[in-house]
Amino acid sequence: MILEVQHIEKNFGKYRALDDVSLNIAEGSVFGLLGPNGAGKTTLIRLINKIYEPDKGTILLDGHPLSDSDVTQIGYLPEERGLYKKMRVGEQALYLAQLKGLSRKETTRRLKQWFERLEIMEWWNRPVESLSKGMQQKVQFVVTVLHEPRLMIFDEPFSGFDPVNTAMLKREIMTLRDGGATIVLSTHNMSSVEELCDSIALINTSKVVLHGNVRDIRQSYRSNRYEVVVAGDGDITMPEGYRLLADKDLGNERQLHIAVPEGGDSGELLGALLPQCRVVSFREVLPTMNDIFIKTVTHTKS
Amino acid sequence: MKKTLLVIRREYMTRVRKRSFWVMTILVPLMLAVLYAVPIYLAMKPLEKAVVLVADESGLFGGLDPSEMQLDESRFASTPEVEYRYAATYDYAVRQMNEDDNITAILYIQRRASDAIPTDACLYYKRDLPPSNVRLDVDKQLTHILRNRLLMAHDISGDEYNLITNTKINLRTQDLETGRDAFLEVKTGLGIILAILIYMVIFAFGSQVMRGVVEEKTNRIVEVIVCSVKPFQLMMGKVVGIVLVGLTQCALWMALTGIALTAIQASNPDMFRHATEKHNITEIATKGSEATNQMEASAELADIPRIVEGISAIDFGTIVPVFLFYFLFGYLLYGTLFAAAGALCDNDTDTQLFSLPLTVPLLATILLLPALTNAPSGTLSQVLSIVPFTAPMAMMLRVPFGVPLTQLYWSMGLLVVTCPLCTWLASRIYRRTILRYSRRKKR
Repeated sequence: MILEVQHIEKNFGKYRALDDVSLNIAEGSVFGLLGPNGAGKTTLIRLINKIYEPDKGTILLDGHPLSDSDVTQIGYLPEERGLYKKMRVGEQALYLAQLKGLSRKETTRRLKQWFERLEIMEWWNRPVESLSKGMQQKVQFVVTVLHEPRLMIFDEPFSGFDPVNTAMLKREIMTLRDGGATIVLSTHNMSSVEELCDSIALINTSKVVLHGNVRDIRQSYRSNRYEVVVAGDGDITMPEGYRLLADKDLGNERQLHIAVPEGGDSGELLGALLPQCRVVSFREVLPTMNDIFIKTVTHTKS
Repeated sequence: MKKTLLVIRREYMTRVRKRSFWVMTILVPLMLAVLYAVPIYLAMKPLEKAVVLVADESGLFGGLDPSEMQLDESRFASTPEVEYRYAATYDYAVRQMNEDDNITAILYIQRRASDAIPTDACLYYKRDLPPSNVRLDVDKQLTHILRNRLLMAHDISGDEYNLITNTKINLRTQDLETGRDAFLEVKTGLGIILAILIYMVIFAFGSQVMRGVVEEKTNRIVEVIVCSVKPFQLMMGKVVGIVLVGLTQCALWMALTGIALTAIQASNPDMFRHATEKHNITEIATKGSEATNQMEASAELADIPRIVEGISAIDFGTIVPVFLFYFLFGYLLYGTLFAAAGALCDNDTDTQLFSLPLTVPLLATILLLPALTNAPSGTLSQVLSIVPFTAPMAMMLRVPFGVPLTQLYWSMGLLVVTCPLCTWLASRIYRRTILRYSRRKKR
């Protein structure tokens, strides 16, 4: 575990922003920090960055309590991000990286590498205010990862990016992970969570309500439904206890949604179907992260 | 510490590289140089000579008998700027003026009813108003001639007249123990200048700090920065960086003004020599040869050596370090508070609202200036110069007069103690509010 958050509590006046929050993040993984607006995600991220101090609990990095010098190991791209508008791009990146403890020479070398890789070298001497929002975000991304932190926290990194740049950013995040970095991704974009994250924590109303491996969570939310595409339009008799939930005409084929009862299994279903029709495809329907998110959040609300 | 230095460096470099910084740095000395050079240049430039026709029907100003040469004293004397010509009658003068465009004005003095002294004269002009130097010269010569007439009529000699009119008692204020002159006016002036200087410095630099903080907050870069730097370091870096920019600018101003003034003088040394000589000539010519005028002139000039003497009597060895102390700590005190106020703001328009309470102590001191200069050692002065928030200004008002050391030490000590307290308070406010944005903006 690179990061262990243990029983954190944080209050702002009478408002409790985080209540007994615990979670673990494995080294070299992509961790999704999910939750509706105002749940406390940003507060938790600021605690990890030592911008705030927790009222209770501890945060361990590599097993030892977070200290001031650890900030060099963390890279953070806030949701509400900005740059000095009047400063030039290169100069600004240099400044921000130097604040993270890099030498000027080393920063320049790395910056040039990154800028060439992202094909933004010609921006070096332009003032930030002349760049579009998306362009500024690229610069911010580079600045966040330049000091090669072991833990990188991206808060809504995809907002404001076009699909091409979103794909580029996803690629870069995976490259960073493959290089050994641990990524914390705070996002509302559930499809990217399924695509990128190994594990997640869902925070709602200041508490962790769901925490674990993405595959395990989806498995635990499985509802034993199967999607079967069959050819032909004859009547299909369901075996005892199995329910046909939907029957959708796809032209030459039909898409069936079937609920398998408790104790039933997919083999039994397939065995019952095969004599009746030609099965084109057969797969289990797992709930999406989007479904799980909505279900969990509305459930905790009620 | 290394990070604070980086912040200072950025604050300094971005400001010094701004175009506005250089525009101001060059413009101010240039304006000073122009202010200095233009009047001299204008004085040197030969004015068009004005011609005044004197139609004196009273006869008191030499108008009735042009041949009466021995009465030079009672005639208008031409100067390099104004030429006086006599006309026998008013009608004749008007005719001449209509024919000759060079005539600037007609000075008409009416016939006297009896021996009475005329109190009325009129300067007639056509189209263009006579220049003020002409009017001044006419007025001066009128009074001068008339006065001489009166002196003669009453049989008073010039010396007697001077004795009477130049009577002046020089009231000095002296220390009973040392016997040294107090030079109240000079010290009051110096105190006011120093106090206002402190006020301007604190206010100008303080609002710069505030604007810098608001800028970081509104463009949201602050969240990235406080991940690598402690809010306290960021705040102090800004406060120090900005004062360094201010000091750089002041140093450049002084250097450039010096260079500009020397350059002007060196480029045209004749201009300045001529200007002074010409000035002397006009003085002598217009004022005539009378002792009266010389005495008047010397009375005006007498103040200058006194000011010089007063300045040399001031203890600059004490004032300069005291000024630097109050400048530095006063700025530190207010600079950090301005930073905290900036952190409370959500946008630029809020800054005025939040900076107002901060400037109240300074403004109050300005408003109390008359009372303070009236009694530099009075109770009010003593209190204000010890309260840390007003001390930088109030003490500078008092210092030229000499302040009891115990009071000075108390004031300095309290300021030194208050500074870190305020910085601590400001950094707390700063840290807590820099990442907070009021909800109303988001809606």
